[in-house]
Amino acid sequence: MRAQFKNTVTELAATDDKLVVVLGDISVYMFNDFSQKFPARFFNMGICENTLISVTAGLSSAGLHPFVHTICPFITDRSIEQIKLDMCYNNFGGNIVTCGATFDYAWDGATHHAYTDLASLRMLPGMEVLHLGSKREVDALIRSQYKNPKPTYYRLSDHPHAFETNLAFGKGTVFKNEGAPVTVMTAGPILTNVMEACRDLPVNLVYFHTIKPIDRALIEQFRDTEILVVHDAYGLYEAISEVPMLRMRYHGLPDAFCGWYGTVHDIRKRIGLDAAGIRAAVQALIEDRSQAA
Amino acid sequence: MDALCKTIRAEILNVANKSGHGHIPTSFSIVEMLCAVYQTMRHDPKCPDDPERDIFVLSKGHASLGFYCALAGQGYFDFKDVEAFGAFDSRFGCHPDRTKVPGVEASTGSLGHGIGLAVGMALAARINGTSRRVYTLIGDGESNEGTVWEAIMVAANLKLDNFTVLYDNNNSQARCLPIPNPRERFAAFGCDAIEVDGHDLTALKRALAKPTDRPKVLVCNTVKGYGCKTLSDNVYEWHRRAPKADELNKLLGELDARTV
Repeated sequence: MRAQFKNTVTELAATDDKLVVVLGDISVYMFNDFSQKFPARFFNMGICENTLISVTAGLSSAGLHPFVHTICPFITDRSIEQIKLDMCYNNFGGNIVTCGATFDYAWDGATHHAYTDLASLRMLPGMEVLHLGSKREVDALIRSQYKNPKPTYYRLSDHPHAFETNLAFGKGTVFKNEGAPVTVMTAGPILTNVMEACRDLPVNLVYFHTIKPIDRALIEQFRDTEILVVHDAYGLYEAISEVPMLRMRYHGLPDAFCGWYGTVHDIRKRIGLDAAGIRAAVQALIEDRSQAA
Repeated sequence: MDALCKTIRAEILNVANKSGHGHIPTSFSIVEMLCAVYQTMRHDPKCPDDPERDIFVLSKGHASLGFYCALAGQGYFDFKDVEAFGAFDSRFGCHPDRTKVPGVEASTGSLGHGIGLAVGMALAARINGTSRRVYTLIGDGESNEGTVWEAIMVAANLKLDNFTVLYDNNNSQARCLPIPNPRERFAAFGCDAIEVDGHDLTALKRALAKPTDRPKVLVCNTVKGYGCKTLSDNVYEWHRRAPKADELNKLLGELDARTV
């Protein structure tokens, strides 16, 4: 997804002389061709995430279309006030693109795990929040959103899914609609595991890449079902909760640091976000409902 | 004291009295700095969105009352308008909002933000191939924030010669985390650092005009509450106080007598 991000902005920069890239000493080698083609619009600015956001807002104030990119927790958790004030409150747009989603850097421990970004950024007025799951989504949604005057957050992962989704901003995708009493809702790359888990189960399955604004009209279609949100971050459950009076449950992160190292797959398995764990959670909900009936 | 600077200080006192709000000592310390910038940079109060204008960002946003009165002194609006300072539905909040007040380029208040924004604005001017200059005024207390030094490092590394910082060295952190030798510090960070009397309008303009090939920092030695002995002798008591009627008369009298 990172390579797609680089390819897309490099292509856009060829016809948009307002496009600027600011890196926090991450993905620099990957951006070599961009920096060679557009040296006056490429800045590997430093490991100073607060200032990266402030500078990006300042660039935007003058009509430029900046992209700022570095590792997820450092530019979201650390720089939340700069995003809130310098971008959102000042009405200065710009594009924040992160790598290192959730447990992508599992082996680095909890300092490098990132799961609060979507939830915290969606609370900021004016912010657009995207949990992109595939390369196609990266390409399509950067192209559709990067020039608009709002601050936009794009969360990338090293483990994309390979499914075709609705690529329109703010729109979800229905993968299964069997008129079932249970609907699984998910977002981002964990879709791979969710699809495998639910393949032959009697549930509806809905996917989102846009966390804010959430596709409320699509959620409304499943209001009469019990909704199980399966997500490897915070933010989707809260976004779906914007629709009032839903029956919802969450299957995802524990209230604990997941400092077991290994790979993202190891941690997902430990906390029940591998396909088997998700399947067990969905089956448990189905059984609960049948017992209640 | 320059006549306009004296008028601005008197209006700061009047507005604080009428509104019940005010960071008066910190607003008093920056009056000459604001006048020096606005009397030398490219701007047009009748056209505050002129795309060729230079930009000033008040990073220490709590000195907004001084800023508003300085903008009024330039003709952006009337001093009378500022009397709504801090009132419900007023344009003039106790920290400046760029979407409400003409001449305000950035909404500031949380310390250590405006300078980073200003670095981005200066870099944008370079990318856009314009000759626009960007000025920002930061506090010495504000410079306890690490983001100030991040922004300075980035500006110096980029050799932003269109970027000027005015550092209000008003000794505000004497009881907390003082920053000794600020000129040497900014110079060590790669800036063209100049120490100047922050209440000497002529010296300030001379320092602003000095050519440079790097970010410029004017370490402006100032006095909190400059112009009124009661304020400058009691800065902590007056940090966020508004004068009552009798106090207003006393302070205006001190201003007329030019006590410090």
